[in-house]
Amino acid sequence: MHLKYESQLREPLVYGEKTYHQVTEDIIRPIEVKPSKLWYIGFFISVALLTFGVYCIYRDVTYGIGQWNLNKTVGWGWDITNFVWWIGIGHAGTLISAILLLFRQGWRTGVNRAAEAMTIFAVICAGQFPIWHMGRVWLCFFIFPYPNTRGPVWINFNSPLLWDVFAISTYFTVSLLFWYSGLIPDLASVRDRAKTKLRKHLYGIVSFGWTGSTKHWQRHESLSLVLAGLATPLVLSVHTIVSFDFATSVIPGWHTTIFPPYFVAGAIFSGFAMVQSLLLVVRRVYGLQDYITIGHIEAMNKVIVLTGSIVGCAYLTELFMAWYSQNKYEGYAFFYSRANLFSPYGWAYYGMMACNVLSPQIFWFRKMRRNVTVTFFMSVLVNVGMWFERFVIIVTSIYRDYLPSSWSVYYRPTIFELGFYLGTFGLFFTCFFLFSKYFPVIAIAEIKHVLKTSGESYKDNMGKIEVQQPEEFAHEYAH
Amino acid sequence: MASIKQQFEIPGKMKMWSMTLIGVGLLALILGFITKGASSDVHEKAVFWGTILYNSIFFLLICNASMFFICATTLAMGGWSTTFRRVPEAISTLVPIFGSVAAILMCYIVLSGKSYIYNWLDPKVVADSVELKGKAGFLSPGLFITWTILSIGLWSLLGMKMRSLSKEADDTNFDSTTGQKFIWRNTVIAGLFIVWFALTVGSVTPWFWLMSIDGAWYSTMYSWYTFASSFVTGMALIGIWVIYLKNKGYLELTNNEHLHDIGKFMFAFSIFWTYLWFDQYMLIWYSNQPEETIYFKDRVQGAYKGIFFLNLIINFICPLLILMKKSAKRNYTLMTFMCVLIIFGHWLDFYQMVMGSVSRGQVSMGWLDFGIMAFYVGLLIFFVGRALASKPLLSRNNPFLKESIIHHT
Repeated sequence: MHLKYESQLREPLVYGEKTYHQVTEDIIRPIEVKPSKLWYIGFFISVALLTFGVYCIYRDVTYGIGQWNLNKTVGWGWDITNFVWWIGIGHAGTLISAILLLFRQGWRTGVNRAAEAMTIFAVICAGQFPIWHMGRVWLCFFIFPYPNTRGPVWINFNSPLLWDVFAISTYFTVSLLFWYSGLIPDLASVRDRAKTKLRKHLYGIVSFGWTGSTKHWQRHESLSLVLAGLATPLVLSVHTIVSFDFATSVIPGWHTTIFPPYFVAGAIFSGFAMVQSLLLVVRRVYGLQDYITIGHIEAMNKVIVLTGSIVGCAYLTELFMAWYSQNKYEGYAFFYSRANLFSPYGWAYYGMMACNVLSPQIFWFRKMRRNVTVTFFMSVLVNVGMWFERFVIIVTSIYRDYLPSSWSVYYRPTIFELGFYLGTFGLFFTCFFLFSKYFPVIAIAEIKHVLKTSGESYKDNMGKIEVQQPEEFAHEYAH
Repeated sequence: MASIKQQFEIPGKMKMWSMTLIGVGLLALILGFITKGASSDVHEKAVFWGTILYNSIFFLLICNASMFFICATTLAMGGWSTTFRRVPEAISTLVPIFGSVAAILMCYIVLSGKSYIYNWLDPKVVADSVELKGKAGFLSPGLFITWTILSIGLWSLLGMKMRSLSKEADDTNFDSTTGQKFIWRNTVIAGLFIVWFALTVGSVTPWFWLMSIDGAWYSTMYSWYTFASSFVTGMALIGIWVIYLKNKGYLELTNNEHLHDIGKFMFAFSIFWTYLWFDQYMLIWYSNQPEETIYFKDRVQGAYKGIFFLNLIINFICPLLILMKKSAKRNYTLMTFMCVLIIFGHWLDFYQMVMGSVSRGQVSMGWLDFGIMAFYVGLLIFFVGRALASKPLLSRNNPFLKESIIHHT
């Protein structure tokens, strides 16, 4: 009888006197009404950015990537930095949906839908960079292993860049399936409430004829668990393989064994920061403060301080080992190119340290974790810091080649490199705006699942249970 | 439910077993000292001190993993483990005991300049090596000893604080305000512990204790790898005590659901250990730089080949295949088997980490290793039994207890 019990010390996950109907009402309402002015403004800015991005890509394809400021020494620059940055952001969604599901964390229900959507859009954005960096993009099918007529020219299975292709496409597929299978019951709810025929028809198609029968739910639950099991190793594998892109090489500053777990921690760090940035806006605009509560924000800030500190521990380990190894080249990469404030890119290293290691430490304080303004500011700062991290790793390791005659001039992006990056922002936010207009941004069915244990109005009834002795409680539970 | 058995009584058999194991261990120690430690052969000496060293570090770290588990659970506000919380608490009481032994041992090794264990203790070797000369500021006896004492001292102190907080809860009935306060005080100490843990086990301590055995060699992953190895073993140790107490009719409120979750931790962290193992190995293999590959050259191609692959089979293949199924994690026999296997497997891992460098090219595994292991296992059984008997087995006023009673995985 106490299956619906939860300690009163835990904050409610749903505030207000909610009934099941009220939950549906609150979450589906924004989809059914016309979007606000703010939505239109945001949407058009996003589309404008996207258009500019498309123009930049058009230039890159027609004139070649000589449009970018890459050169023989700095052969990887903004494009790979942006690729890794977006991939990193695409980590939080699957972590929330898969790992937190396996850990039975109730608070994931408030944020998982939007986080998963964010993941998918971020991976789409990330994918653009390697694709357009190919130059002859029409030959991009060369990266797939298929029986071809090119004789012995075959993709290189020893290259981590190829492992990336498999890792990311698998990750994308599983994340998409996970997100979509979770959406089906909610899309059916939208369908059932639809007033127009067209709307009913369209939502009917996308909800695959969901009826909400026990059988459907049973299959849905087992599918979720299987997908969660599949997605969990993927959370680790994708960024691990991205880190291999660097760590398998013998470039000073890239080759270090701690890279894989530290990249994963950094990815989760930046992913959660992006979830915070998006959800703080969404909850405000759609009035969903009862569902995405301060408790949710606090929990995510805890993840941010944890992963930020793990990343910090890795930065310092790396720096220390550069000295401890007594390897001159490592020493040069770390103590001249990076940790020296007066070297050309020293500012980037210190920017990274300040944003990623120092600033998240304010989240040790409960007051800060629960402050919406601070959280928003921090979430942006963390993503700036994580961008710097990738930039520091990539550019500071290569811009001073072994021979001084090969040293590169100060690398800065052209307007087309910058435009391409801005374009992915456009793509990301365009997708997110459309998502928030046509799909329920919170998993309705899952909120209902936790409502009776963690809803504010239900928690009040548990006072009786709280005072029971353990023996009495266990006895009642057993019967 | 009738009353709950709160008082653990140490069975005579357990006393006998622990004493026998300690006796066997002491005998091995004495014999080992006579035949190896006091031998004039440097290699024999190295085997003797190396064997004690890896056992001391291994058993210290796996007991400390229990406190890590408690603190991590506290910070994450995890309630599920409350019904058996006294078990990891009891295991963690060994940190000051094993810690003192390890600290004395390591200080002795360093102060007496046993360069066949830590090669950087030999001034001649250092003078001949550019790398060792360069890092002499770090690899110095003074810093080594200071860090060792600080590490163990603070683990012990903060662990004691956590346990005394838990004891305090036995005599206090919390309402929601005092309960909140209690959780808060726990959180502060747990936070301090975790930060210190990250600075020690997560970074500096394994560099000193283990990695510096090969003074010139380095790997940034090393400490995290050591952490993963000791943590998964710590979970197995908790698991085996929980099963033991259940079989003796204690821990009535702990059930298959809790065991299942302990099994999940063992499964997950076995995979995590393998993940770190693979990353470290693959990256060093792939870039193929002699100053790094030297570590694996001794292990993969030399005399340690068998142990090297056995390590992977026991610690990865077995947990992967056996613990994957839900029913396996709820089966007492299988879980007991897996707990023992994982503890043994990671003991073997520590063996190759240390002896692979101390006793290069010659696998020394023999009666001394098992003798010293018996000594530590005996001490572990003796002291954990005593600690379990000294407190009620159920932390009955813990605010999360009821959640733990109805825990459902």
